[in-house]
Amino acid sequence: MLKQLYLSTKAILRGHYTVLKHLFRKPVTEEYPEIHPFLNPKFRGVHVLENCKGCGYCKRVCPSNAITIIKDDSLPSRYSIDYSKCIFCGNCMYYCPSKSMKMTEAFEVATSNKLDLSYDVENRRM
Amino acid sequence: MNYLLCTLMEIPWLPKILAVIITSGIAFCIIISLLVLTVIALVLIERKLLGFFTQRKGPNRVGLWGVLQTTADAIKLLCKENIELKHADKILFTLAPIMAFASVIVLWCLIPYNSEFHLINSSVGILLYFFFASFPMIFHFLAGYSSNNKYSILGAYRGLALTASYSVSIIFSVLSIILITGTMDLDKIVLYQSHKWIIFSNVLGFIVFFITSLAKLNRCPFDLSEAESEIICGYHTEYSGMRFAMFFLGEYAELFVMSMLIVVLFFGGYLSPFGGYISNTFMGNCPISSYLIYFEQTIWLFIKTLIVIFSIIWIRATLPRLTQFSTLNLFWKYIIPVSMINLIIIFLVRF
Ligand code: SF4
Ligand code: SF4
Repeated sequence: MLKQLYLSTKAILRGHYTVLKHLFRKPVTEEYPEIHPFLNPKFRGVHVLENCKGCGYCKRVCPSNAITIIKDDSLPSRYSIDYSKCIFCGNCMYYCPSKSMKMTEAFEVATSNKLDLSYDVENRRM
Repeated sequence: MNYLLCTLMEIPWLPKILAVIITSGIAFCIIISLLVLTVIALVLIERKLLGFFTQRKGPNRVGLWGVLQTTADAIKLLCKENIELKHADKILFTLAPIMAFASVIVLWCLIPYNSEFHLINSSVGILLYFFFASFPMIFHFLAGYSSNNKYSILGAYRGLALTASYSVSIIFSVLSIILITGTMDLDKIVLYQSHKWIIFSNVLGFIVFFITSLAKLNRCPFDLSEAESEIICGYHTEYSGMRFAMFFLGEYAELFVMSMLIVVLFFGGYLSPFGGYISNTFMGNCPISSYLIYFEQTIWLFIKTLIVIFSIIWIRATLPRLTQFSTLNLFWKYIIPVSMINLIIIFLVRF
């Protein structure tokens, strides 16, 4: 019993020491709106579309059915991503055969109007 | 206070009863304003410290470095709606927070703040303290019982089981102090420590008292009756607005007053730790210094109290919550026997 008491007291004191060390360290908090947070290079944010062939792979692999493509002579006349459905999984970017889909670092898409939550591209072949 | 009372008594046209009422009214106002200010500061200190302990910043938006955060919270709570429950016991539901807060105010009046300002100066101060300190627990139970909610009643029962386990050891460790000092008067207990603090002659008693007071205050690691992650908020789940604020303020006021009691019982209360007073050394024997000493004594009391509170917050930041079973196990199998042995040792040494 004495050994158990000794071990538990030692463990508790070690825990206290560890916590006390944190008191003298710099906080890891990032004050978000003023200071832009550090983002991983592979961060998946809002999409950009360039040179889309209109093959429709992205629409097929999208797990949440967020992509709508209306085709017009094999080129997409209307391509839209509904951000109220998109979960930013990155499947569309990964499977795109012509690498025309990219995801940027922008992530602030919050809005008070639901209709603003869609990325519309009107046949932007460049 | 006595000085003010004597001055008022000497005024010929003032009835004696009015003089007493005016004096106690002024003292009461001082206590209440002190209570509200310290509690608001204490909540801020706790949140900031918990932030630093976990490498965060704590509240930092309202005011400079977030100093006005708790004031803003208090104003928000005062403006919020009091939700009336349909199936609650209305009278008990309303009465419980008021009485729980009122009994904490009485505790504040029992503490000697300096050698003059001691509102309820009774020869059985400790006994009165623990009499009134048992009230909040009863009203917490009644609050849980009257809100007619399964989480509230669970929290209330847990609190009651905890009370049954800590009351014995807290009284034993207080008895050991009464045995050492030979008095129940808090003023005399403080004066007894002018040469040597009681903690040096009663270390075991201090450890028992400290752990037990954590349980009494419902603090981590014994915050069973309001375990947020298990039973929402325990006994005050159904409370909102002003009534919740009363429980909240009462809890922190009790934390502060219990830490003051620990200081009074073990760390020499308002006495200066260096023997002499700073104001006496610097001001010499001029008439102001005799008044400055009173302020200095209160400041010493508060500094020591803040150190105790720091360690309580430190424990909260470190230890996880014990389960119901292991809490009872700890108290009945370890703390109570230790406090009994401590009492017997002190008895044998004294007589
Ligand atoms: S990121 Fe994922 S969810 Fe969003 S559009 Fe692309 S495939 Fe669909
Ligand atoms: S973005 Fe890529 S996968 Fe999607 S339709 Fe255009 S080319 Fe095909």
